[in-house]
Amino acid sequence: MRVGIYFCTCGSSITEKIDSDAVRLAVCDADSYLKNCEFICSEEGKNFLRDDLLAEKPDRVVVAACSPREYEAAFREVLGEAGLNPYYLQMVNIREQVSWVTPDPAQATDKATALIRGAVARVRQHKPLEKTVLDVCGDVLVIGAGPAGLKATLTLAEAGRKVTLVESSPVLGGLPVRFEELFPAMECGPCLLEPVLGDVLHGKHSSNIEVLTLAKVEELVGYYGNFTARIRQRPRYVDEELCIGCGECIAPCPASTANEFNCGLDQRKAIAFPFAGALPNIPFLDWDACLRSQGEDCRLCVEACPVEGAVNLDADEQILERNIGAVVVAVGGNLYDAAKLPQLGYGNGSDVYTSLEFERILASGGPTDGKLLMRNGRAPRTIALVHCVGSLDENHCRYCSGVCCQAAFKYGHLIRDKAADVEIHHFFKELVMPGKEAFALYEHARHNAQFHRYSEIGELEVSQSGEALMVRSVTPTGESSSVDADIVVLCPAVTPADDTISLSGILDISTDRFGFFEELHGRVDSARASTKGLFIAGACQSPMDIQSAMSQGMTSAGYILAELVEGRQMTLEPIVASVNPEQCSACRICAGVCPYQAISVDPETSRSVISPVLCQGCGTCVAACPAGAITGNHFTQEQIVAEMEAILT
Amino acid sequence: MKTSRFEPTIVGFLCNWCSYAAADKAGGAQAPYPANVRMIRVMCSGRVEPEFVLEAFRKGADGVMILACHPGDCHYKEGNYRAAQRHQLLVRLLAQHGIEAERCRFDYVSAGEDEKFVRVVTDMVETVRGLGPLNANREAASGSGDVPAAGSSQSVSDSAGDLVTIGPGSPA
Repeated sequence: MRVGIYFCTCGSSITEKIDSDAVRLAVCDADSYLKNCEFICSEEGKNFLRDDLLAEKPDRVVVAACSPREYEAAFREVLGEAGLNPYYLQMVNIREQVSWVTPDPAQATDKATALIRGAVARVRQHKPLEKTVLDVCGDVLVIGAGPAGLKATLTLAEAGRKVTLVESSPVLGGLPVRFEELFPAMECGPCLLEPVLGDVLHGKHSSNIEVLTLAKVEELVGYYGNFTARIRQRPRYVDEELCIGCGECIAPCPASTANEFNCGLDQRKAIAFPFAGALPNIPFLDWDACLRSQGEDCRLCVEACPVEGAVNLDADEQILERNIGAVVVAVGGNLYDAAKLPQLGYGNGSDVYTSLEFERILASGGPTDGKLLMRNGRAPRTIALVHCVGSLDENHCRYCSGVCCQAAFKYGHLIRDKAADVEIHHFFKELVMPGKEAFALYEHARHNAQFHRYSEIGELEVSQSGEALMVRSVTPTGESSSVDADIVVLCPAVTPADDTISLSGILDISTDRFGFFEELHGRVDSARASTKGLFIAGACQSPMDIQSAMSQGMTSAGYILAELVEGRQMTLEPIVASVNPEQCSACRICAGVCPYQAISVDPETSRSVISPVLCQGCGTCVAACPAGAITGNHFTQEQIVAEMEAILT
Repeated sequence: MKTSRFEPTIVGFLCNWCSYAAADKAGGAQAPYPANVRMIRVMCSGRVEPEFVLEAFRKGADGVMILACHPGDCHYKEGNYRAAQRHQLLVRLLAQHGIEAERCRFDYVSAGEDEKFVRVVTDMVETVRGLGPLNANREAASGSGDVPAAGSSQSVSDSAGDLVTIGPGSPA
C-alpha cells in the first residue's frame, strides 16, 4: 500500500524549524514518498496535489501542514477530484502544533517525524467511506400554539412549508393572550397576538397550516427528515367548519364548572368560549362537565344552535398520523407552585394570588370584568407584590426567571391606572431589569411604590390580620418589617410545563437539571434539542419573555428552512458508529452513554442498532462497549492504536 | 549536561473541539512548550478507551494526557464526563500496576485556553521527567538524579512487565 506524503513548507513557516529531508529519511520506505509543496492550501497548491495524486496514484495520502480543523475538508475534496476516496487522507498538524511551538529545530524535526510516522501508519488503516444521502420531507410539526410555536408556524408556512400545529387546549395564543397588557411597553396582549393568530387561521398562508386544537402528540418515530407522528385529538363537539361563532349555544347550557381560563376564579358553562376574543372563535364542549357525561339526554346547546350540525354531540376523538421532517416543541412553561411555600398563605381562600391569577383579575374579560376587587367585593387600599417566589432559592428554583420583576412593575402600572390611591409595595430578593426597555418600568415603580428587600423567601410570611393581610419579612441586614395589605400578589418562578416530562419521553428529548427541555448548546444552539430534527422554542427551554420566545420560534424555523429543503437531499457524514450484531449482547451500555438517543435495540434481531442519522460520531459508545462490538468510523481502534504505536516507535 | 536529561515521551489525546483547538491557538500565539507530547486527535475525549492508555504505556509512553472540554462545554454534551469517569477508574487500575497516577493526567482545556494548554503540557512533562522513565528497559537518563529510587524503579519495571502480558502483542 503506497502512501504519498505531502509536506507543506508553508513558505518557510514550517521548514524554519522542521527539516523535511530528515523527515523523509526517517519515515519513507519503498512504499511511501514525501514531496514538498510551498503552500498546499493555495489554489496552486491544491492543483499540484490533485495532479500529483493523479500521476503518482498513491493508495493513501498524508498531508503534513497546518491544522486539520481548517483544511481537512478541502483536502478531502482534492482526493475526491483525484479519484481517491476522500477519507483516505490523514493530516498532520506540523505548523500550529510543532514548528510554531518548538524553538529547537532538532526537537521539532523529531516531533514532526513521530507524528508523520503515526499518520502514515494510521492512514494505511483507513477504510473508504461514503457520505449517504436521504430524501427528506419538508413538512413540520409544531407542538404548542403560544408565541414561539405561532411564530415558527407562520414563518414556515410563509416559506411554503406544510405545518401541523398541535395545541392541547381549545385556544391558540398560549399564556400571553390571557394578559391584558404586556411589559415592557404596556401593549395589549390579545391585540399583539391577534394579527398573528389571524394569519395562522385565515391569512395568506393559512392553507399551509393545519391547526389541531385539543390535540396531543402520542408517539414520534423516525429521524430527522422522516418522522411519523401519531396525534390524538379530543372532540370539540363543535364543528370548526360549520360554526359561525355566535355563541347562542352557551346561554342555555345548564351545567357549570370552574373556569380554568380564569385560573378557577369564576365559573364557565360546559359549552363555552375559553374567554372573550379567544381564537379560534368557536366554543368547545367540556365533556366532563356536560350533563350528557352523567347520562342525561340534554340537547339544549344543539337546539339553540342556528346552524344545523354545528354542534355535534356524537363527535369522536381522532387518531391522526402525520409524516414530517422536523418537530418544533414549544409547549411553554408554568409557574412554580406557590403552595410549596405554605407560609405565604396561598390557596387558603384569602386574597393571596399568583401572578397569573392577578393577570386575569386585571383583564377586562376576567372574573371581575377587569375591576380591581377583593374576594369580598371591596376595592383594595394596599397591594403587596412579592417578587422571587421560589426563584434564586436552593430549596426551590435555583435560577432567576428574568421576567417576574417586569411583570410586577407592570402590575404596579395597571393598579395605578385602575385605582390611583392604592398603596403599592414591592417585596424583592433581587431586582432584575435586563434589556433596553425595562428600566423605564422600574422608574415608574420607584415613583409609585415602596420597595422592601428581603433576605430569604422562607422568612417572608403572609398572615391574616383582622380583615387585612400582613406581610412580614426580614431584610438582608436582619431587621424585621411588616406591612398590611388587602391583596398579596406572588410572582412565582417560571417552571417547565406539566407535560414536559411525558413529552420528553414521547419525543426523546432530554431535560436539564431544572426540568426544562435541554438545548444542544446554551449559547450557540439554544433552539436545538440534542436529538437531531427536534427544535425547542420558548419557555419550555428556559424561562423567557415573549420577545425571546418569538425569536426562538423564528430560530427553529430558520434551522429547518436551511437544513431541510424539499428536493435537496440530506447528506449524512459517514463518521458515525455502527454495531456488529455478531458481537452484541444488547446489554444497552452504549444506549446509556449516547447523548443523542441514537441507539436502540432492534426488536427483530435483539441487537443494538445505531441510527446513522442521529449519531454524531463522538465515539463514546465505541469506548464504552464491553464487547468491542461497536466500530467508530474513521476513529477505529485499529486506526488509533496504529497511530499511537507508530508515534511511540 | 543538558543532553543527558531524561526526555519523557507523552501521548496526548486531544478532543477536536476544545483541547485540540487550544493547541492550535497556542500555535497561533507561537507559545513555546516542550516537544515531548505527541498529540493524537479524537473527535471527543469520550472516545478514549482505557485500553488506549494501557497500550500507550505498553508501547513505551512515559505519560498519557487526556484533555477534554470543560464540564458543560462538551461538543457532544457529556463525552467529557465519561472520559473523566473512566480516568478515575483507570488511575486506580494503573496504581495496581505500580504506575503513578501522575503519569495519566486528565484535564479540562477549552478552545480559548491556549495558556492553560501550554501550562498543563509543561507541567506534565516536568512531572513525568521527575518520575523518570516508566519502562526500565528503555534507554533511561543516567547520572542526572532524575531516575527514580531503586525500589520504585523496580516496581515500575514489574508493572510494565505485567502490562505486556495484558496487551495483544509484544513491543517491537
